[in-house]
Amino acid sequence: MKTDDLIAQLTADVPPVRRHALRRRILLGLGGGGVITLALLILTLGVRPDLGTAMHGFAFWMKWTYTASLAIGAVVAVMRLARPDAAPSRWTWLLAAPMLLLAGIAVGELASRPSREWLAMWLGHSWKVCPWLVLTLAMPIFFGLLWSFRRLAPTRLRAAGAAAGLAAGAFAATIYCLHCPEVSALFVLTWYSLGILAAAGIGALVGPRVLRW
Amino acid sequence: MHESEEQLRAWMTAGLDGDAGAHAALLRALVPMLNSFYRRRMRGAEQDVEDLVQETLIAVHTRRASYDRERPFVVWLYAVARYRMIDHFRRRRVTVPVEDLEHILVAEGFEDASLARMDVARLLSELSPKQARAIRDTHLDGLSVAEAARAADIGESDVKVSVHRGMKALAARIRGERR
Repeated sequence: MKTDDLIAQLTADVPPVRRHALRRRILLGLGGGGVITLALLILTLGVRPDLGTAMHGFAFWMKWTYTASLAIGAVVAVMRLARPDAAPSRWTWLLAAPMLLLAGIAVGELASRPSREWLAMWLGHSWKVCPWLVLTLAMPIFFGLLWSFRRLAPTRLRAAGAAAGLAAGAFAATIYCLHCPEVSALFVLTWYSLGILAAAGIGALVGPRVLRW
Repeated sequence: MHESEEQLRAWMTAGLDGDAGAHAALLRALVPMLNSFYRRRMRGAEQDVEDLVQETLIAVHTRRASYDRERPFVVWLYAVARYRMIDHFRRRRVTVPVEDLEHILVAEGFEDASLARMDVARLLSELSPKQARAIRDTHLDGLSVAEAARAADIGESDVKVSVHRGMKALAARIRGERR
């Protein structure tokens, strides 16, 4: 095709693009995936029956603060990496801050309990399924973000994939908190993080393939 | 002649607001820019240049939501063009080293500036004499790294490092100045 014809074709329809179109599109993908994840959680796992009481306790908010802050940090990274001219960020290390904070709480917890209880605190009741559930629940959100990327222009595909996986994993973990009755920081630090990082790893692995444009 | 950053950005912004005429003007203005961009970098594959230009125009059109109105347009454009080129090589399963975006910005910036050498001289005067000389020799006067090293009586790796650091500093200035 001649270039002039191409331009005529492309400019036949020029829909306006809003000022914050990129942010909206990413939040839309995130929200769409999140709704599916939430529905999956309610229909298959169920919301913990004591959610109302749990929301008055420390453990619930500790978990939520951890997963939500990771999710927010990752979404900020996704928004950066969705632009073609994204330079490596100096602030990526900030993503480690929630983990370090939670590690601090975990150490305090261990110090206040006798060592014979440590193993039970670490494994909780659900260590075998927790990372898998987080990883599975992350999938709809990851696909939502892939949809967002279709009109955006990531050029560092592996980093963008990892950030999208991290955002999906952390957001899924935030939703999973509505089901999971575990209370120890050590448990969350290990098994939640394992699921979240697995999602980020898968994102990094498939990024160069699925984000190509 | 290539349009200025201000003009391109004005068209892009109007296009984002739904002005089809401005959007068409932008795409037409990008054709010569992308043509020379790819022609210079695709030696031996001239027949692919037109494909690349068209693919880039399509990407500029379909992915324009990824442009941030607060940032320089040419930086965004060359980032898209660079990615299209990398993907082009990847599809053909050839490995070709592609310059950093920083180098591209300076190289393309120099092209505008070649109309007004004053600008280049002013930009270079802000670098160390060694970096300025390395860049002038290899990027303006067209010497090879080995020739430049011999002329300045320094090592080849020294020339490369000087060019690299100087380019980085210049690119930072160009990004900053075009805000």
